[in-house]
Amino acid sequence: MPDTQVKDAVDHVRASAQELYKAISDAAAKRGGAAKADLEAVPTKAKAAIDSIKGSMATQNAAAKKHLDDAVTSFEAMRKHAADGVKTTGKEFQTAVRQTITDARAAVQQVSEAVAAKRTAAATTGARK
Amino acid sequence: MRNYIAVVFDDTSKAYEGLHALWQLDDEAAITVHGTTVVHKNNWGEYQVDSKDTHPALATAVGVGIGALLGALAGPAGAAIGAARGAAIGAASGGAVGAVADMNRADTRDESRYETGWVLGAGQTAVIADVSEDTTFVVDERMRRLGGSVHRRDYGDVVDDKLFADYPYDYYLYPYEYVPPYSPWWA
Repeated sequence: MPDTQVKDAVDHVRASAQELYKAISDAAAKRGGAAKADLEAVPTKAKAAIDSIKGSMATQNAAAKKHLDDAVTSFEAMRKHAADGVKTTGKEFQTAVRQTITDARAAVQQVSEAVAAKRTAAATTGARK
Repeated sequence: MRNYIAVVFDDTSKAYEGLHALWQLDDEAAITVHGTTVVHKNNWGEYQVDSKDTHPALATAVGVGIGALLGALAGPAGAAIGAARGAAIGAASGGAVGAVADMNRADTRDESRYETGWVLGAGQTAVIADVSEDTTFVVDERMRRLGGSVHRRDYGDVVDDKLFADYPYDYYLYPYEYVPPYSPWWA
């Protein structure tokens, strides 16, 4: 199997981030909008993603590291917006949901860019062998 | 290299197969897909974009943003841009929300910067994607087998485009394989 097909922690973080984005955006699209229960699990999941990124950072190349640093910032923002959101109601709650979705989107994007950087590096290394 | 691609299909079901194939290529690590969406043009010339109905205003923004992205990808002027000018581009989210796309600015740009021109014809469907690919062969070959024609434009060129400031295109693409519940893909 080529190096590029080995799924590592970053691939798993990306899959988790995609799932998280999907879950929040699905909840927001429901009739009546997202409920508090939809946001409650977000801080824990975001924290798990941050820990996973930090744990895998050492093995990544410089380009991937840069994207992962940005992803951590987005996950932190997501955590904060979701945690703050569950304490609010009405318009403030809906604003928190939208901010959480935006953060989740940014986090997925940045992890996805890290994955691309990792794959390109692996493909280049493979081509040299 | 990172590119925006538009894969045009005559058949909507095939377009969803194409969408699925792109994400499969991502799963195989052959490419990295950063986001995708599907745009339909019906027999009356109306555009619809697959989107979740998260907020009416957002749905409208999605329609306008995808319209701008189509303009940025489609060139040269007069092709899809001409067809789309003034057309309602709606986010297809059950009840479609119409929005008049601001395409007038799109056709004033330098035509020579585009790699290719294409038209989304009536009844056709396009898969729009933001992808990182080490070679164009992988996507081209897989899409050709499904009957899709691939058009691409460098991501940096689209980002540098002056329209980007108004419409952050990435935002309108789903970062996972999103297929709306009413899609023929599920049939």
